[in-house]
Amino acid sequence: MLKDITIGQYFPLGSVIHKLDPRAKLFYTFTFIIMVFVSSNFISLALCIACAVLIIALSKVPVKTVIKGLRPILLIIVITSFLQIAYVKTGVTLIDFWKIHITSGGILQALFMTLRISLLIVMSTMLTYTTSPTSMTNGLDRTFAPLVKIGIDFNIVTMIMTIALRFIPTLIEEVDKILSAQKSRGANFESGNIFKRAKMLIPLFVPLLFSAVRRAYELAYAMTCRCYNGGKGKTTMNALKYKKCDYLVTLLTFAFIAGVVVLNIYCGEYNAEFTFNSAV
Amino acid sequence: MSDTILKFQNVTFRYDGDEGKILPPAVEDLSLEIKKGEFVAFLGHNGSGKSTVAKLSNGLVVPESGDVYVLGMNTKNEDDDIKIKQTVGVVFQNPDNQIVATIVEEDVAFGPENLGIEPSEIRRRVDEALKVVGMYKYRMHEPHKLSGGQKQRVAIAGIIAMEPQCIVLDEPTAMLDPEGRRDVMKAMKRLNCELGITVVFITHYMEEACQADRIIVMDDSHLVLDGTPREVFSDVDRIRGLGLDVPQTCALAKMLKDDGIDIHGDSLGVDELVNSLAEILNRG
Repeated sequence: MLKDITIGQYFPLGSVIHKLDPRAKLFYTFTFIIMVFVSSNFISLALCIACAVLIIALSKVPVKTVIKGLRPILLIIVITSFLQIAYVKTGVTLIDFWKIHITSGGILQALFMTLRISLLIVMSTMLTYTTSPTSMTNGLDRTFAPLVKIGIDFNIVTMIMTIALRFIPTLIEEVDKILSAQKSRGANFESGNIFKRAKMLIPLFVPLLFSAVRRAYELAYAMTCRCYNGGKGKTTMNALKYKKCDYLVTLLTFAFIAGVVVLNIYCGEYNAEFTFNSAV
Repeated sequence: MSDTILKFQNVTFRYDGDEGKILPPAVEDLSLEIKKGEFVAFLGHNGSGKSTVAKLSNGLVVPESGDVYVLGMNTKNEDDDIKIKQTVGVVFQNPDNQIVATIVEEDVAFGPENLGIEPSEIRRRVDEALKVVGMYKYRMHEPHKLSGGQKQRVAIAGIIAMEPQCIVLDEPTAMLDPEGRRDVMKAMKRLNCELGITVVFITHYMEEACQADRIIVMDDSHLVLDGTPREVFSDVDRIRGLGLDVPQTCALAKMLKDDGIDIHGDSLGVDELVNSLAEILNRG
């Protein structure tokens, strides 16, 4: 049961987006995140939304799943919106009742922030939905490989990531086993208050930690047997290759940056009153 | 000299105890030679020092005194380290703790990648190694979804892909079910017969040990018996005295002999035993 969990929520759908080089995907995702913050008016933000919608459509990931991904940050969105409405006092006053004082500026600012945060989350989950952990580590490895010249060996970081990904299912299985073993000795993990339950986790985590350390020793031996020396002079069997569509996507990413900058300049700073009036 | 791949010369080794306590040696004054192309089984009960032999054989640990030579290279010499590990590969008991990558074929590629081999050559080696152990069709699978025997064969493929001349397997079948054990045994035999790789394996199972060309028995850090399965199992009482089992056929022959029935002393295989029993019965 626990064995079937997916890590990083990858959906192997085999779409155009899935087949892109991970470096291209990493590049457009990070560009997008920066551009969402650079966008200073609703029109440049609309361009960001259009791009996100295009990527979601091409990836074949169900819209429902994408929206579900927003659920964990719902609270953050609500709090931010509340603060914006409470403190931004520009534009036309909409409601002025007792201590509640809501202005059009506050509402628009809240909407603006909600869109920004949602876009941020949607695009980063889209990256994990469409990129397998292995290809992600490969992509990171290749992207940061040049850092060796300034003394940062990213190879070790990706090795750690790979091992972590590899051992998550193994350790989950182990937790399952320890849980059963402790239960058969009369341990009760399901009742009592929160402190009691937290205390019950000790007989679960101590054996888990011990076994993880033992595994680490054995793995170190096994890796030494296979001539691992920290990734010096390492080659890769499935070397990543930038294809035509990857170049195209990278080109489009640059076009997107230009688009946001141009819209920012032409449509000016985000102006609550102006936007509201024109909207009405 | 040239046909010796692995040579232990008066090797003594002990592990570090807690707080400077001195532990008894895990291996003491061990001398042996393994020739190219041999198929050798190591037997011994728990704590007899046989797992330490595996670690000593490619320099994972170095002897306290004495020397281990791999093709004439001393494992104490760090300059030869990579060459030694490339020549002698070690497979351990728990396959889970040997697999590094999240996809089977990428794990098998790990060794050759570390050696800096050309990508096209790695591809060829990975495919070949997976075919030898019969795991080719699982090359795109995630290791944690495979059975124990399959995982162990992937671990073996990971070593073969480095094209070693000798493989040492430390109880590769101990954690497997009978079917997994059979598959791993079959893979080891193929390596020996078809690829000419020297195979040294440590085991608890007498039936597996019988399939070797040569059996080395260890007891209490020392080498006590060394010979063909026929020679080693001829002395049933001695083997039992070392806390080991004998193959069921040998046990039966011994019981019959003790009852005064004249049977050949070394009935190792089932067929052989059946034949000698039939002979006795026909004689009346």
